[in-house]
Amino acid sequence: MRYTENIIRVGLGITFLWIGILIFQHPDAWGQALQPWALGLLPIDLRTAMMQTAVFDITVGFFLLVEVLPALFSLLAFIHLITVITVVGITGVTARDIGLAAIALALTIAYWPKRKS
Amino acid sequence: MVNLTPHALLFTIAAIGIAEAAYLVKTRRSEIAPVCPIGQDCSTVLSSRYNHLFGVHNDILGFLFYIAFAGATALLVLEAVEVSSLLSAMKVMLAGATIMSLFLVYLQAKVIRAWCFWCVMSAATICLMDIIILTTTLS
Repeated sequence: MRYTENIIRVGLGITFLWIGILIFQHPDAWGQALQPWALGLLPIDLRTAMMQTAVFDITVGFFLLVEVLPALFSLLAFIHLITVITVVGITGVTARDIGLAAIALALTIAYWPKRKS
Repeated sequence: MVNLTPHALLFTIAAIGIAEAAYLVKTRRSEIAPVCPIGQDCSTVLSSRYNHLFGVHNDILGFLFYIAFAGATALLVLEAVEVSSLLSAMKVMLAGATIMSLFLVYLQAKVIRAWCFWCVMSAATICLMDIIILTTTLS
């Protein structure tokens, strides 16, 4: 594994951890970013959903940071970011989320177990 | 509104420390020589008789410290506990880590006479945390 993957992994891990903490701090405010159609799909109340999102973000961030199952957690990060882009819609920060999603996808590919030939 | 810049910086530095310590624990447990980005003496230092304190490996002590510090910073952001007590606890933790870092730097310079990139990086992160704690207002 080269330095580049490790630097990106740690950076993405820190981002997920910090965002998770910020969501915990103001779950309702973060929930306001959701599109009305996405709010209608939630099977639980918005605050609980955002708290679960915070726990998910912190879990993904921590496992990326300590490099345990990095391929799996990079993939989860990618799926999560695509979901965020979908349910939040195009806003001023969509470009950032697209960049993060691309990073998560690149990490997934880099860490994916190679088939022995 | 509380300025979160020092909190974010402290948390980021602690998270880098977690990643670094986790890497050192993993390489030690797998009996793999850690990558030494600068110099070639990492293994000399990490396998020396000073690689543990009170029967616990330094990498584990570092990992626990960084986890505790990152957790405390998160609690500070969330205002989940009384801020002044938490800040005092963080300062005590950091003072302990600073003393240990200085001791490890002394060991590398004067006793082992070899430098380990990861140990120096850890000392630098502790130093940065000291600067942030001493120069900013965390509340």
